[in-house]
Amino acid sequence: MYTELKSEPSRDVVQRVFISNAAKAFKRFFSLRIVNHNTFKNVPHDSVTMSKQYLTTHTVDDAHKTDIFSVAVTPTQVLSASGASSIKVHSTTSPDIPLAQTISGAHKLGCHHIVTSRNGKIAASAGFGGEVKLWSISESGEWAEQGKIEDGNKAGEIWAIALSEDGQYLASTTYDGRINVWDTAGKKIREYETKGSFGLCIDMSRDGKFTASGHENGAVYVFNNDTGRMMYSLPGLVKPVRTVAFSPAGTRLAAAGDARVIALYDVQHGEQVADLTGHSAWIFSVDWSDTGEYLLSGSFDGKVKVWSIDRRACVATHSETEKTLWCVKWLPKVSNKSEAFATAGANRSITFYREATGG
Amino acid sequence: MDLDLLSDFLAEPQTSAPRELLSDLPNRSLTLQNADSNPNPNPSSNTVNRNSPGAVISKIEDIFEAMTDCLLGERKELVIQLKTGRRKQKSKSDADNTKRTRSGIRTVTFPNKSPHEAWKFTALLRILELSHEALVTGIVTTKRDIYYRDPELFLKQAVVDQYVDDIAYTLGVERDALNVVAAAKGLVSGSFTIIRKDNSVVDYSAEPGGLLIPDPKNIQEVELEGVKWILVIEKEACTSRVSATFRTLATEQYWKGSRAGKGILITAKGYPDIQTRQFLRLLSTHAPEIPILALVDFDADGIGIMSTYKSGSAALAHESATLAVPSIQWLGVRSCDFLKTDADVPGLLKLTARDRRIAVKMLEREMEEEWRRELQVMLMLDVKAEIQVLGNGERLGEWLDGKLLDAVRID
Repeated sequence: MYTELKSEPSRDVVQRVFISNAAKAFKRFFSLRIVNHNTFKNVPHDSVTMSKQYLTTHTVDDAHKTDIFSVAVTPTQVLSASGASSIKVHSTTSPDIPLAQTISGAHKLGCHHIVTSRNGKIAASAGFGGEVKLWSISESGEWAEQGKIEDGNKAGEIWAIALSEDGQYLASTTYDGRINVWDTAGKKIREYETKGSFGLCIDMSRDGKFTASGHENGAVYVFNNDTGRMMYSLPGLVKPVRTVAFSPAGTRLAAAGDARVIALYDVQHGEQVADLTGHSAWIFSVDWSDTGEYLLSGSFDGKVKVWSIDRRACVATHSETEKTLWCVKWLPKVSNKSEAFATAGANRSITFYREATGG
Repeated sequence: MDLDLLSDFLAEPQTSAPRELLSDLPNRSLTLQNADSNPNPNPSSNTVNRNSPGAVISKIEDIFEAMTDCLLGERKELVIQLKTGRRKQKSKSDADNTKRTRSGIRTVTFPNKSPHEAWKFTALLRILELSHEALVTGIVTTKRDIYYRDPELFLKQAVVDQYVDDIAYTLGVERDALNVVAAAKGLVSGSFTIIRKDNSVVDYSAEPGGLLIPDPKNIQEVELEGVKWILVIEKEACTSRVSATFRTLATEQYWKGSRAGKGILITAKGYPDIQTRQFLRLLSTHAPEIPILALVDFDADGIGIMSTYKSGSAALAHESATLAVPSIQWLGVRSCDFLKTDADVPGLLKLTARDRRIAVKMLEREMEEEWRRELQVMLMLDVKAEIQVLGNGERLGEWLDGKLLDAVRID
């Protein structure tokens, strides 16, 4: 169903070139952006001709009894965590998104973060009680608890978590601003100190080389896991940063939060390269598409947006719900299928979208 | 028992904090030399007037005098003897540095090689001093006030609660005789009348500033004609600015002018004392059709206060049957009350480590799904907000009117 189709998505020549020949199109877009930068800036996003259409393909209603705070994806599944104690696993291989597994009693007081390794083999979840659990998937596709990450100090110190692509490393934040990197056997490898502001979010680059964290005081830090040093303290967002995400190639970092702006940074040089404006509420979640061309974002007012990184513009906005979207995620690209993403939040449901093809 | 109370604090501070506190004591240099101690806490007396202020004052002064003697006589130790017999079982480690002279009497000495013991001495002495002050000035103080006079010393409220009771027991008097009451007494204002057991009539609508919560034991009859709502407010007054506190709403007679009809305002100034809870319970059983609504801060304490009204405190679980008001509803502040707007909301605060700890502790308890959800959202956002976040003056009045109207209609 079309939800919020604000403009006629005329699939013009440029777009076709784009799809058929990505490399060429990239160049062309790039120059287009340079040439038309100012024009684009002054045109409202909705009237930009190259918007994209996404259709809701399925909604898992009341997937959980309470707010879904976090979702994680594998090539075949969506894992979701909520204010209730169980973790749910839905299969994305069939269009009706059937429930594949319920991990009961995973986190007694509820779970605020769940993440998966890019290879889909390891998952980690962090509960309100302060515990972090590691999960691994069997050949038959069942998740089972593999272990725990325990901070030597007090329970409850770990807040946001991220896994490396192979699931070998886990990075975590604490309420007092420390950033830790663990191997998933449970050994702490790195401990970074920052200025003591609550680490609300964290991400690790796919190659495991970099860790980035976003903090309550608006700080965004990038650490080099090889050298164990902080590389950059990135300026720009003065308000709480609630989500950070490395692009698939690890060259860009997106950060967003209460400033309602998505800041894009160049990871190599530590410079802010763009501001994506358009959300009118706090942004809780951003995620890069597999190719790094698009960024997905979800906000407090229930709006989900897709942004073209090349054009620095919002190309689609949906508001299936007015309730908070705590988490938005692209589904890993499946060959011969168009791009798809999932959103979840305070309405307790998981909604799936797919790009409209043809035309 | 007192070790239980202190377990979370004295695990670490035992070695550091109390020592620092003690180094500040002016009499430190004086507390030395030898000779045995002979304090006279005068633990029991059977005089008829043992609860009279004069008698209690002199008992406390006796203790001080005995200490002065110790100091002047250059004796080695200062001693407070505590009668603790009424409590059943002491934790075994408690006895370590506590000489037990005879069953039920503990001797707390100063100086003492155990920092915990020395701290205990200081805390006891300070409580004695404050209740002496309360008796001499005739101003009734509360356990909470005592705690706030010196929170760094007492570390937590429970310490004061217990030591006040211990001292009262040691002196052989009721706690009230120390001029210390359990908690800040609640206030009530509104459109109702109470007939006391002595047939006197109190019209609360004639007292716009509010009156102390009446003792339910003395109430014969409550007249609630025309009352549409009962609003329980966390705060009595707010120092920073005009806002939704009991005092401002009572003074402007909101209970009379609300679009939702006439009502009653109640505050216990924070966590409710027993009398406030008894009174609210009385209202709720007397007129179950009147909705009871809570206006508390959006923080763990606000939700904690609400749950204390609703189902009682953990400490008084056995009494909850006679104190609980299960029908209490949450009027605000919820996260959606202040996060709806696009504009930045002034007055949002981040959670402290204590806030987060309390919130997690509360999640472990049984509670309404919605309250649990809001606690989790609070933790997710790392945001808390006081009632003031709703605004003040007209804006607040409109908000309250709207919320109360909804509640009145539903019920």
